[in-house]
Amino acid sequence: MIDVQLGALITSGAFIIIGLYAAIFLDNIIKKIIGISFIEEGANLFLIALAYKNGGVVPIFLPGFDANWFAQNSAYPLPHALVLTSIVIGASTLAVMLAITMVIYKKKGSLSATKVLGDSNE
Amino acid sequence: MNELIPLMVIIPITCALLLNLFHGYSKPVKYLSFVVALILPIIPFLANYGLHFFGGHVPLIDNSLLLNQLPSNISSSIISNFHPGIVYSFNSLSKIFIFFFGIVTFLAIFSYISQNKKVSGAYLFLIFMGVAAIVALILTDDIFNMYIFFEISALTQVGIILASKIKNNYEVALKYLFLGSIGGPMMLMGIGFLLGLVGSVNIADIMLAINSGFVDPLSPLFLLSFGLIFFGWLYSVGLPPFHVIKASVYSKALPSASAIIQGFSVMTFIAIGLIIIRIFSVVKFVNAFIIFFSLAGMILSLVLALSSNDFRKTIGFLAVGEIGYIGLGFGIGTPLSITAGLFQGLNELIISALLFIGFGTILYFVKTSKLSKLGGLISYHPKIALFVLIGGLAMAGVPPLNGFQSKLALVQSALSAGYPELAVIMILLSIITFTVFVNVFHRIYLKPKPLDLEVKPDVVIPRSTVFSILILLIICIILGIIPNIVTTPLFNYVGALI
Repeated sequence: MIDVQLGALITSGAFIIIGLYAAIFLDNIIKKIIGISFIEEGANLFLIALAYKNGGVVPIFLPGFDANWFAQNSAYPLPHALVLTSIVIGASTLAVMLAITMVIYKKKGSLSATKVLGDSNE
Repeated sequence: MNELIPLMVIIPITCALLLNLFHGYSKPVKYLSFVVALILPIIPFLANYGLHFFGGHVPLIDNSLLLNQLPSNISSSIISNFHPGIVYSFNSLSKIFIFFFGIVTFLAIFSYISQNKKVSGAYLFLIFMGVAAIVALILTDDIFNMYIFFEISALTQVGIILASKIKNNYEVALKYLFLGSIGGPMMLMGIGFLLGLVGSVNIADIMLAINSGFVDPLSPLFLLSFGLIFFGWLYSVGLPPFHVIKASVYSKALPSASAIIQGFSVMTFIAIGLIIIRIFSVVKFVNAFIIFFSLAGMILSLVLALSSNDFRKTIGFLAVGEIGYIGLGFGIGTPLSITAGLFQGLNELIISALLFIGFGTILYFVKTSKLSKLGGLISYHPKIALFVLIGGLAMAGVPPLNGFQSKLALVQSALSAGYPELAVIMILLSIITFTVFVNVFHRIYLKPKPLDLEVKPDVVIPRSTVFSILILLIICIILGIIPNIVTTPLFNYVGALI
C-alpha cells in the first residue's frame, strides 16, 4: 500500500519545484502567476500532510469518547486550521496579482515579463 | 490593563474597516483617521506589561480542571506546558517600538490628511491595516500569527504603492508581489517544519522543546526550517537579494507613505529577527548568516545609492543599507550589541521618516526627481533644507544626534565582542553613507540651478509637513542627547531574552 503521507509530501515537493521553475524561468506573467499558485498550494499540501495520521479519526472530541483512545487516534487539527488561513491569504494575493496584471496589460498590451517589468525599477 | 494589549491591533483594524466602509465621505474619513492615529502612540503607555491569552487559553499546566481530565501521558509530559492558543506578549521593547512607530504613523497620516482636501479612504485603509499587522508582528509570540501578519503587511505595501499613483508603480507592485509570493510560502514551509518537529507554533513552546532536548537543533529539518524562515525574513526587510526591489518600493510611494513603509521594514526586521534569534541562536552559524547578509545589504545598497540618479531611489537605498546595522548588532549576539541594534532600529525608523518626508517636499515645487536635472533649491526653502541636512547627518552618525549614539554603541559592542574588523567596516560604511548623503544634498540644494529646471517659486510647503519634519528632528536630538531613556529598558529586555 502506498504511504499516503509520503505521497502527499512528494507531491507537495513536486508542486513547489514546478512552481519555482514557472515563476523564475517562464516569461509570460500569467504563467508566472500559475507557477506561484503551485508554490502556495505545495506549501498548503505539505502542512496537510503533516497532520495526516494513518487510520486516524477526525479531530472532534464527541461525548462518550475515551480521552486516551482519542489522543492516540485523532489526526492533528492545528495544521488544518493553519492551512485554512493560508488558503485565504493565497487567494487574496492571487486576486491582487491578476488585477495588477490586467491593468498592466491594458496599459502596455503585453504579458511578457521581460518587456513589461524589465525597466520598471527606474 | 492587559486587555489593552490586543486593542493595539484591534483598534487600527477596526478603523481600517470603517474607513473602507465610509471611503466616499471625506470628512468622517479625515476625523476618524486623525483620532485613531493620535490614539495609537498613547495605548502602549496605558497598557501593563504581560501576556494576553486569546480566548483565555492559558497553558494546560495552569488549567488544573482540564489537565486532570487528560491522559497521564499528556498531563505529565512537556506538552502540559504548551500554549494552546495565540499569545501576545507586551514588554518594554514592544512599548518603545509601538510608541515611536505610532508617532511616525500619526505624522505621516496628519501630513496626508491636512494636505489633501479630498482624502482616499482606501489609501488610509491600507495604511491602518499595515500598521495593525506590524504592531501584531511585534506583539505576537506565535510563529503562524507572525506569518499571517507578515503576508498582510506585504499586501498592504503593494496596495500603498498602487494608491500612490507614481509612474511604473503597477510594475514595481507586481514584482514585489511575485517575490513575496515565493518568500511567503517558503516561510510557511519553515513554520511547517517547526510545527512537525515540536507540535506547536508558540515560540516559548518551541524554545522549551529545544532546551529540554525534545528537538535536536542540529537535525536537518530544524536547519531547513531556519533556512526557509530566514529567506522570508530577507524578503520582508529588503536584505539581499531583495534590496533592489525594496528600494524601488520606497521610491514608488508618496513621501509620507515611504516613511511608513520604511517603518514597516524596520519593525518587521526587529520582530522576525528577534524570533529568529530566540529560536535558532542555539545553532552557531545563524549569527554568521545574519552578519553576512547584513553586510552584503549595506555594501550593495551603498554602491547602488552612489550610482543612482533619482534622489528617491538613493534615499531608498540608504534606508535599506542602514537596516544592515541592526542586523550586525543581532549577528554579534551579545546583550550590548543586540541592544545597540535595537536602538539603531529605532533611530532608523525616525531618521528615514524624516528624510523621506523632508526630501519629498522637493516634489512640491519641481516635477522631477532626477539628480542630474536638479540644483540650486536651497534658495527656495532653506529651513527645510537645513532640517533635511540635520536628518542626513543623524543617519551618517554625526554627534550629538541619535544615529551617532547607536552607531557608537554598535562599534563598542563589536570591539568588546572581539570583532574589531566589523567595527572598522561599520565606521567605513558610515563615512561612505555620509559621502553619499552630502553628494545628494549638494546636487539638489547647493550646485547651480540648471537653466532648464522649472521651479514653482510661490508654492508653500504645508505647515503639517514642516511640523512633522520638526517633530522627527526633535526626537533625533532628544535621543542623541539622552539615549538612556530607551537604551536602559531595551538592555533590560535583551538581558532577560538572552
